[in-house]
Amino acid sequence: MIQFKETSLHKVNEIISRYPKGKQKSALLPVLHLAQVEFGGWLDVPVMDYVASLLSIEPIEVYEVASFYSMYNLKPVGKFVFEVCQTGPCMLNGSDQIIDYIKQQLNIGVGETTTDGLFTLKTVECLGACGYAPMMQFGKTYREHLTKEKVDAIIKECRAKAN
Amino acid sequence: MGRKLLLEKAHVEGIRHYDVYRREGGYRSVEKALKMQPTDIVEEVKKSGLRGRGGAGFPTGMKWSFLAKPDGVPRYLVCNADESEPGTFKDRYLMEFIPHILIEGMIVASYALGSNVSYIYIRGEYDWITDILEVAIAEAKQNGWLGKNILGSGFDCEMYVQRGAGAYICGEETALLESLEGKRGNPRIKPPFPAIKGLWDCPTVVNNVETLAAVVPIINEGSEAYAKIGIGKSTGTKLISACGNINKPGIYEIDMTISVEEFIYSDEYCGGIPNGKKLKACIPGGSSVPILPANLLLTTAKGEKRLMNYEGLSDGGFATGSMMGSGGFIVLDEDQCIVKHTYTLARFYRHESCGQCSPCREGTGWMEKILQRIEIGKGTMSDIDLLWDIQRKIEGNTICPLGDAAAWPVAAAIRHFRDEFEWHINNPEKCLTENYGLMHYADPIHVPA
Repeated sequence: MIQFKETSLHKVNEIISRYPKGKQKSALLPVLHLAQVEFGGWLDVPVMDYVASLLSIEPIEVYEVASFYSMYNLKPVGKFVFEVCQTGPCMLNGSDQIIDYIKQQLNIGVGETTTDGLFTLKTVECLGACGYAPMMQFGKTYREHLTKEKVDAIIKECRAKAN
Repeated sequence: MGRKLLLEKAHVEGIRHYDVYRREGGYRSVEKALKMQPTDIVEEVKKSGLRGRGGAGFPTGMKWSFLAKPDGVPRYLVCNADESEPGTFKDRYLMEFIPHILIEGMIVASYALGSNVSYIYIRGEYDWITDILEVAIAEAKQNGWLGKNILGSGFDCEMYVQRGAGAYICGEETALLESLEGKRGNPRIKPPFPAIKGLWDCPTVVNNVETLAAVVPIINEGSEAYAKIGIGKSTGTKLISACGNINKPGIYEIDMTISVEEFIYSDEYCGGIPNGKKLKACIPGGSSVPILPANLLLTTAKGEKRLMNYEGLSDGGFATGSMMGSGGFIVLDEDQCIVKHTYTLARFYRHESCGQCSPCREGTGWMEKILQRIEIGKGTMSDIDLLWDIQRKIEGNTICPLGDAAAWPVAAAIRHFRDEFEWHINNPEKCLTENYGLMHYADPIHVPA
């Protein structure tokens, strides 16, 4: 059965309390973030149905939101997700070469996951780090001023964590 | 060195934390404001000439004065921290390093507008900054700046941070409100404007991070002192996020009296172009505003030095000028390909279109495909006219300004760099390996050898 941990349930209630009575639907985006972290990095249909029941809204209201925003994954992703920015300012500073290098090192294409389930490579549009380009989102934070050496180090860091 | 109002204390160690921020004079504006009448604060902001720092440049005091005040209906202040315009990363800097200045400005604004619950809607990717803001809000609350009966004034205010989830469109204020209500970020048809019907159908003011932070010096120093900084209708200071091919990318607070030339070449700001390259073009206000070739960027069509302010950057209209926008300053050196750069922006807008209006939903994808084929040497001459036609049919024909934002970069690229598009079409074998270069766009001040 799908169920948040006690601490997460507590967090969900705290989030709902931020809005006026009856406006608990406003908690949908934050609760989907929590669900994605807790239930394996993506939002499976039963997970979305569970969120709908928590917020007393229809499942379709969750699906339409989950499919609109690019940070919600609707299919499984690797343990580590590299989201490399490819918009103008990053492109000017060599993001194409960084994307090619990651593809080569991990032997996957954009949108793919390595066969060991460790890495997913995604390209994303502007993340607001244009002055520190090229960059990628890596979990909760950003990795900036990327070079081939830095990419190597990040991959190494991930493999060490996985072992 | 120009006057700094927002970043004056940015380099004080520990300024992120309440104790240091307070020691450095933080929260004085709240002490002062709570002794004033809310309407007087709105007047002060009006007189300061402060214009919205998110991109549109609409006078903030006027926006505040439009807020409806029906009896028994709550009013809301929402901070737009959904910074997503390519080239723009200034709000991130403020929130990451000086979070209390935003909270301080929001408490004053909440009091002026009568908002007892205010929200900061931050882009989902700024995950770690959400934590920083939540710590700062908790510190402010512990010290009596938020909560019930603040400083014994009888004014109550709570503040919460809400994370988005990756959608540029949520920077548009009505899409932001939809998102905050737990829906897809589809912009609303206006009127009614949020000032009448906003969050949960209640009167709402949505302001950018930098705008709300600027309320702090306006209250502390008075509107007159604030309005004295700058030129004409560009009062106060502006944060510029500089990126692309420059020696010193980063955030600069300017007083809007300096020239574009000084901003790019002076060591105090961008420090010139790296590797001895020459300036080719620049998008001075975030990816939506028109790109300008070096000659028109540095001097206006009248041959005067162009200034870094609202009037200066828009001098000449779209024919020979651009816009201040969000202050996202993107510099392109002589090696950059205008077609490729425009293609990445078109791809961005296609990705970010919410899909509600057909001119934008269909047009952005169409423009992306055409630009891509020109870039890889498969374009035809009629493609250039087709692009022009599509952008013209998007502009002004959509519910929200994303349509214009997608159309303008393409229009400006063709307006000023048509020969580079033609070169791609005439030289399909060269356009992925060679570079069109500077041609006549050269910087008139720093003449290429």
